[in-house]
Amino acid sequence: MTIVDISIGFIVMMGLLLIGFPVAIVMVAMGVVGGMLLYGPVLMQSMGPVLWGVQNENVLTAIPLFILLGELLLRSGIADRMYGTLALWLGRLPGGLLHTNIGCCALFAATSGSSVATAATVGTVALPSLNERNYSSSRALGSLAAGGTLGILIPPSVNLLVYGSLANVSVGQLFIAGIIPGILLTVSFMVLIALQHYWKPDDVSQPLQVSRAERIHALRHLIPPAVVFLIIMGSIYMGIATPTESAALAVMAALVFVWREGRLTFAFLDMCFRQTAKTTGMILLIIAAAFTLNVTLALGGITNAMSSWVEGLGLTATSLLFALMLFYLILGMFMDVLSMQVLTIPIAVPIIVAAGIDPIWFGIFVVLMSELGMITPPVGMNLYVVQGVRSDKGPFMDVIVGALPYAAIMLLFATMLIFWPSIVMWLPSSLAG
Amino acid sequence: MEFIATWISRIFGWSLLFLSAFVALETVMRKVFNTSLQGADELGGYVLAFGSSLAFVVTLAERAHIRIDVLHRKFPVRAQSLIDWLAALSMAVLGCFLLYVGWFVIKDTLAYGSTAATPWATPLIWPQAAWYGALSVFSIAAIVLSGRASWLFYKGDHRTLAAEFNPKGAADELAEELRELAKRKGTSL
Repeated sequence: MTIVDISIGFIVMMGLLLIGFPVAIVMVAMGVVGGMLLYGPVLMQSMGPVLWGVQNENVLTAIPLFILLGELLLRSGIADRMYGTLALWLGRLPGGLLHTNIGCCALFAATSGSSVATAATVGTVALPSLNERNYSSSRALGSLAAGGTLGILIPPSVNLLVYGSLANVSVGQLFIAGIIPGILLTVSFMVLIALQHYWKPDDVSQPLQVSRAERIHALRHLIPPAVVFLIIMGSIYMGIATPTESAALAVMAALVFVWREGRLTFAFLDMCFRQTAKTTGMILLIIAAAFTLNVTLALGGITNAMSSWVEGLGLTATSLLFALMLFYLILGMFMDVLSMQVLTIPIAVPIIVAAGIDPIWFGIFVVLMSELGMITPPVGMNLYVVQGVRSDKGPFMDVIVGALPYAAIMLLFATMLIFWPSIVMWLPSSLAG
Repeated sequence: MEFIATWISRIFGWSLLFLSAFVALETVMRKVFNTSLQGADELGGYVLAFGSSLAFVVTLAERAHIRIDVLHRKFPVRAQSLIDWLAALSMAVLGCFLLYVGWFVIKDTLAYGSTAATPWATPLIWPQAAWYGALSVFSIAAIVLSGRASWLFYKGDHRTLAAEFNPKGAADELAEELRELAKRKGTSL
């Protein structure tokens, strides 16, 4: 298998993907066709156990559980109410309610799996009050689009789970590694808002003064998300539970909160189940497809061929990472996050491991680049969602312009991770030691 | 299809809740009372194998299996309908492929009477039969839908075909979220 054959295969695959064939099918088809050419029908027999192996993998059971958890908290309205509380606390910082958008998205991120649902909920709650007080559209929309991306970095994250299973690294370690970068990125977004405020303040009306007692009383709305987050990260950090077990504990806790809200009905559960099934089927089929393609990639020596080709280029680890950063930036403009991950991780991870880069660190890096992909046009999922939520029907350009500074911050942040990998590695390695 | 998707989601959801309760109980008992119920891991794997295969059907009914629609939505209707038809056919082929490769697993398990290497020593044919059954439901659903797509394509009804089999974009998904949100607000205020 030469690098030319691989390139032809890759181009055919990209062509089929871009004209709109289902991603999972294209991956399976490439795996089967490639495998038949290399080995003949015998390869098909080895794909059966691979399929059963993936679908029977207890680590992946965490995926539907975390999705269900997010649905329970989101659809019961528990998450909606966080916004009001955060507005009382963060609205007084320079930049006002824009901080609330970021903070609320980050908290949401700590519980929910769907970025569309997150951006839609926060956007719908936030935009009317932002318009009322005359915030600039593009800043408001940009903060919502960028805030929505935090969900896949801040644990628990389904995307980190997908990375962990494809790269065969510990999901618990990935979750722990995501905490500090997640917090730092959230803070960087807030610093950006403050700087924008000092540079050119929005002429906004002041929020109503609320007494300290009222503000403290409002904190009760933050209890459910905080408890859920602490159960998950606490049990993983202290080594009490695996990610799957922590998800199960959190689902039980969420059920109690939903019950206390008086929302625990069969109709409510039906709705959560339906959404969970839809998202789980989507993710699991594409993961199963990735593993079948991997059989061919690994047995056919394609992964090795790619690794040694990259090694032959004589790049240093740093320049390799900058090349990958450019690659992901471009790919992210055209592809959704999940497809991008399943298509690149199986090939990229052996390459970076050969270059001496830690796969846990790389997981955070890939997820950060995926976040960037969510706000880069033409195919930035979050840009469209935020545009769809706004009621003034202004130009799409507003959202793009508003999101650009955040995209720049993400690129800077990725660069920072390259030069100071300990931002990612400190917490997981302190745990191991 | 709607009816089936609702019931499948229900089975899927309740098995997840049951699993959560079992796993949570197991974890707490292990830490607090130092005893283990055992088998929570194993059960989790089986629930995923069975549940995710069932979930493929729901995703299919919701048209949510990922497709990249950046170019697709710019094509003329005829081209869209051609690709949508081929995509529906390929889904049916995938269903058959899953059953074909899955059969190797079932065949081996039957031939060796395999049991899981766990304290439960589950005869593997039970969970695998459930898994294979769920995959069969997916295949049948995909074949039925591809039949419908082929019929529409044969009739030359490209508009209906594109409307029924187009990949669901962010816009559709958002519209659903917003409707749902409005309902929630309506009851919570």
